[in-house]
Amino acid sequence: MRKRTLPQNKSNKRHKRESNSIPWRYGLMTLFFGLILVVGFFLAARQHFSSIEFGMKNSKLRRQIDELESEKRRLILEKEIALSPSEIKKAAKKIGLTTMTASNIEVYRNNGQSGVKSPTDKNAATKPSEKPEAETKPAQPSANKADDKPAKPDKPAKTEKKASDAKKTSDQKEKTQAKTVK
Amino acid sequence: MRRQAKKTKKKNPMQTAFTRFMLIVAFFILWIGGIGVRLVHLQINQHEALRDKALNQRRDQIKSKQLRGTIYDRNNRPLAMSVKVKSLYADPREIEDVEAAAKQVAGVLKVKPNEILKNLKEAKEHGKRFVWLARKLDENAVDKINEELEDRNLRKFDLPRSPGLYWREEQKRSYPYQTLAAQIIGFSNADDIGSAGIEQSQESNLHGAVIKGWQDRDRHGRVYDESDETEEREPPKDVVLTVSHSIQYKVEQALAAGVKSSNSKSGMAVVLDPKTGEILALANYPTFDPNRYTEFSVENYVNRAIHDNYSPGSIFKIVTYSGAVNENLINADAEIHFASKTIDVAGHRFSDHHSRSSMSYKDAMAVSSNVSAIRTALGLGKEKFFEYVQKFGFGKPTGIELPAEANGIVRPPRVWQGDSLASMSIGYEIGVSALQMASAFATIANDGVRVQPRIIKEIRQADGTVFSATEPQPTQVVTAETARDVRSMLRQVVVAGTGKRAQLNGYTSAGKTGTAWKFNAKTKRVDSSKYVSSFIGMAPADNPSVVIAVVMDEPRGGARDGGQVSAPVFREIAEQILPEMNIIPDSNIQQETLTAEQIPSETESLVPPVNENILGWSEAENQVAGEQNSANQTAGTAQTVQPVKEANNGAPLKENKAPVESDKKGVKEKPKPKATAQTSEKPKAETKNKSSGERAKQKT
Repeated sequence: MRKRTLPQNKSNKRHKRESNSIPWRYGLMTLFFGLILVVGFFLAARQHFSSIEFGMKNSKLRRQIDELESEKRRLILEKEIALSPSEIKKAAKKIGLTTMTASNIEVYRNNGQSGVKSPTDKNAATKPSEKPEAETKPAQPSANKADDKPAKPDKPAKTEKKASDAKKTSDQKEKTQAKTVK
Repeated sequence: MRRQAKKTKKKNPMQTAFTRFMLIVAFFILWIGGIGVRLVHLQINQHEALRDKALNQRRDQIKSKQLRGTIYDRNNRPLAMSVKVKSLYADPREIEDVEAAAKQVAGVLKVKPNEILKNLKEAKEHGKRFVWLARKLDENAVDKINEELEDRNLRKFDLPRSPGLYWREEQKRSYPYQTLAAQIIGFSNADDIGSAGIEQSQESNLHGAVIKGWQDRDRHGRVYDESDETEEREPPKDVVLTVSHSIQYKVEQALAAGVKSSNSKSGMAVVLDPKTGEILALANYPTFDPNRYTEFSVENYVNRAIHDNYSPGSIFKIVTYSGAVNENLINADAEIHFASKTIDVAGHRFSDHHSRSSMSYKDAMAVSSNVSAIRTALGLGKEKFFEYVQKFGFGKPTGIELPAEANGIVRPPRVWQGDSLASMSIGYEIGVSALQMASAFATIANDGVRVQPRIIKEIRQADGTVFSATEPQPTQVVTAETARDVRSMLRQVVVAGTGKRAQLNGYTSAGKTGTAWKFNAKTKRVDSSKYVSSFIGMAPADNPSVVIAVVMDEPRGGARDGGQVSAPVFREIAEQILPEMNIIPDSNIQQETLTAEQIPSETESLVPPVNENILGWSEAENQVAGEQNSANQTAGTAQTVQPVKEANNGAPLKENKAPVESDKKGVKEKPKPKATAQTSEKPKAETKNKSSGERAKQKT
């Protein structure tokens, strides 16, 4: 068996040493995949921590929604309490309004005059025929300063008086009847 | 050789590298394989244990309760709603110095520390992990407690930052309108379980379920993940009532004023839409505040308008006349003749207040004639009368969606006594609720069509969609002509009869007064000193939009008649609610000051039946009594009156003075006892004593 040997003093530039090129390639590949792995871990970690962060934000927002919804309900309740008739009554009393009774009802007339009337006094409200009459007969202007007040028509005044007299008598009758019943 | 070996070595660098690489790969494979095996072991074999361990470390179980459904009125105003509140509890195992903690907490809560200390000590000794310290605190109180209990050195994420103390979310039921419609709404107890009214009857719809959820926390206790509670269970539903809060308020105010002015024991009022059966208001007085229900008497919780039975008295004549008109036995304008003011039925004398020899049925209704009603009922007969009583809905619950509704007391004809038909025709020997009576009037108001009363308009889901809505079920009880005829009779009551005080400003009205003596359970007899005064009416009279029933229990003021006590309350209610309901005025009637002389009194014509003990007697006793009475009938008691088209097929009937048509038969007149000689001049008390004395004689 003949062995071929290369002369040691002769350079062989055509031949590359294979032993040097192979580990580099593997090394680079290892490095590359290593980098992918590291980046992957890094990304995964980042995702994990950001998901936790989002979870925290989410839970905070949920709590906030809950709180706002409860607050909304509380405010609705407060509004309803404030609008309840008993509270309105209290508020009205505070600002000086009083409960409506027969004695404090003010009946406004069409001609702008006003006066305190009892609800049983029907003349002002129930006899509309009297009003046009009063309006068509305005009082004559007087030279007297004392007469500057708006003149009241005679007829309604009389009927009012009559009505009040009639009412008084009926009240008296009632009282006497009540006494007899007792 | 050495050179050759070197050459060989140099010859295989690739192989060497490959071998080395393979070694490294093998190492990694082994390593990863080892890890894989370990992972398989951990994740498959020890999966459960490790998962539980991990969950225990990071996960908290939380219990929360869905907010109870809201109760709305017909205008979507919340009458009952729940809000979230917080309750403070302690985990005694986490508290080292219990005494100091108790002192601190008591100082913040402004309570005595002894109670808290005792609870904490006991819990710690028994190894308990949960002790309530304060419940259902509002937001301000919670903030204040958090501030005062803050321990800055403690690393705790949750408030309050104090060792062993925690908040738990609860809910608090609030009733913003306080006493308004209290008996309708009811209340829910500390555990949020409905205990009365709609809260109780609609518990299944309103109930908020307990939801178990979880929260994942990091090492600082911050929540980073949690379960979605809303997906786990269907949320509770909201209930919309037919009641209007505004009408309800007006009714309650009018009723309260009426009860106070008549010095009544209690009062009840029902406002009903006859066409739909919707209850617009249902009030009781005295009432209670469901926010503070423990501070009130249990009696105030009772919804008397549906729960209590009472003898309706003359108001029940509407059934008698409706039946007779529907059977074409009478009509409103037909004349009825009276020979006397009294009538004897099965040995019992019933009397009237009026002293007219003849009048129309309309007028008979107006003056609330007992004799006329009894004669009409006798003409109608037992079976027919009973049929109409049932048709009008008496003796069974109306079906309203409220708990504990009374059936009423209506006995079948087989156990009636001789005078039962007569008694029932004028509203005795029968027990009704105010709602049943209102429903009967609503039938007449709605042209003879009875619509089941209802108080729930619809049940809504949380998103606002309608879950269920109640459909009214109409039943024709009497013909429309009959209803119109009876309405004209009721109109006469208000125009010229006992119900003049129910005349309205701007609207026509119709109705009937009722004044009945109350049954005394102890004596098992009616008590002539106690009354139930009622007025049930409708407006406008021609086409009623509303039926209002007002019942006063035991008025103790001067006047006791339904016309004097309840009719003004009816007027007050009707005049306020009709404009609100956009009902166009149909009359210009002005309210006049009515004197006692102008209004026929009803009280004096009160003659309850001898055996007005229906509420106390057993059926067997009634049966025996019925048999005895029928035996008496066969013994030869003469029948004298045929007042209406059909003959009386029931009890024997006598009038002290025979009426015009019976005069021909020549029946002997029974001597008129002094006790029944009632005149308008006689004081009421005297009349009452005499009639009760008479009853006593008859009983013996």
